[in-house]
Amino acid sequence: MATVEERVKAITARVLKLDPDQIKSEDNFTADLGAESVQSIELVAMFEEEFGIEMEEDAALSVETVSKAVEYIAQVCKEQGVVTDDREQKTEDR
Amino acid sequence: MRLILLDNSNEIRGNFYPLALSRPLWELRCGFNSLGQKLIAKVGANDVAYFVPDYMADSYRGKVEWPVNDSSVLNGDDLLIVDPRLKAESFNITAKGPSEVGLDEQGNVLYARIAKDDIGKLSTDNIDTFIANAKTKLPNVKSELSTWQYIWDLILANAEQITADFAAAGQHGIEGTVEQPNAIRGSKKDVYIAPGAMVHPMVVIDAEHGPVYIDEDAQIHPFTRIEGPCYIGKKTILLGAKCREGNSIGPFCRVGGEVEESIIHGYSNKYHDGFLGHAYVGEWVNLGAFTTNSDLKNDYSAVSVILDGRRAINTGSVKVGSLIGDHVKTSIGTLLNTGSYVGPMALIMATGKPLPKFIPSFAWFIEGVVTKGFGKGKLYETAKIAMSRRDCQWTKTEQTMWDAVFEMTAPMRNQAIKKGRRAMLTR
Repeated sequence: MATVEERVKAITARVLKLDPDQIKSEDNFTADLGAESVQSIELVAMFEEEFGIEMEEDAALSVETVSKAVEYIAQVCKEQGVVTDDREQKTEDR
Repeated sequence: MRLILLDNSNEIRGNFYPLALSRPLWELRCGFNSLGQKLIAKVGANDVAYFVPDYMADSYRGKVEWPVNDSSVLNGDDLLIVDPRLKAESFNITAKGPSEVGLDEQGNVLYARIAKDDIGKLSTDNIDTFIANAKTKLPNVKSELSTWQYIWDLILANAEQITADFAAAGQHGIEGTVEQPNAIRGSKKDVYIAPGAMVHPMVVIDAEHGPVYIDEDAQIHPFTRIEGPCYIGKKTILLGAKCREGNSIGPFCRVGGEVEESIIHGYSNKYHDGFLGHAYVGEWVNLGAFTTNSDLKNDYSAVSVILDGRRAINTGSVKVGSLIGDHVKTSIGTLLNTGSYVGPMALIMATGKPLPKFIPSFAWFIEGVVTKGFGKGKLYETAKIAMSRRDCQWTKTEQTMWDAVFEMTAPMRNQAIKKGRRAMLTR
């Protein structure tokens, strides 16, 4: 399973029609990646689908950068009991 | 005698959505005013009380003078309890008379006239028990009184109702200001321009086929054509509108473009070009420029409407436009299909294609799909701003009511959001 960051970047690339390799953690969704408000809504929807979580709209849409999104999604996954990283899971299994 | 208007059946209320989600049925309008005003006038009541669904009681209490959901009104006087779907014009039950409960063919109570002396036989703890007791303990009669069945009945009856209301008002002539040049076609007896109303130059009022009533402080801007029967509410502004027959607009609306046989509640705007026909529009709606609805199918067949998000209901009419709930906002270029339902608080960004026929309440319709958007908090913020622009206040009780509507309508919205997600994933 890919990491949260890889999955966030993949979704971001698909919604914003970018090359995933060009997306950096510090990128701002609006200023650096050109996300418009409508695309922000689509990003939140696709993150929810990808991770199987429910995010609170105001909090999710106030996230500005890729790294903050990774952090926020990881936190929501943890709160909602969603396993996100296969390497972490395997370590725990041992 | 005390008149009690009773609106407590969810099944019946659903036939009047999306407007009834946020108001009791008697606040729906047809002709010059509301169904409640017509019933009160017909009965000649000067003591009135209301029973509404619990979730809207606090909000409604803040808007009216008479008691709301107060069981104490069930004591102390002769009562006439009325289903607000009853058409006032044919309501012929006298306030005085022996107790009787009028039932429709399905056994629903249409009215209950209860003499003060009989109230002791009934439990007055709450209205539901009271009505159930009345049905069991007092004489029942089969009633064939005419009722409104669906919200589009009001649209289809509007032109006729305006004509009847004009006759009942008994006013004609010009008491406001009419700047020249302008033209009044038909009989001047079929035109009334109320004090404070201002008709600018280059306006045509065509009363040849029905009366035109322009209420107080309305403004009719140049190049507007108003065709009767038509009612323009207080402080409404028409901006070069092609106002075809059968419209009831206002109060406090701003309307341009082409509008035909439509009912528009207060404080709604359709400022720009675009066609609205056979539509019912709630309060605080803003229809963006070139928002247009279809009210006639290409094959001239009867229009169907989806009121609950699942089942299409055949209206039996070849002309039905859109049903648009309170606080709906549409973007420029929104195209609404024939018989569309747009739930209250929905926000629509057009795609260039006709929208789905059912848009749930609180939906953010974006890029062709229903989404959660920025959530209901942002919709409330927008509503607050829109209301403050007209010196009106968004209240806590109102928000509580809308929170309840949000919960009630969640299943259909969530289903639409899931469908939208699937569509997004396949793009």
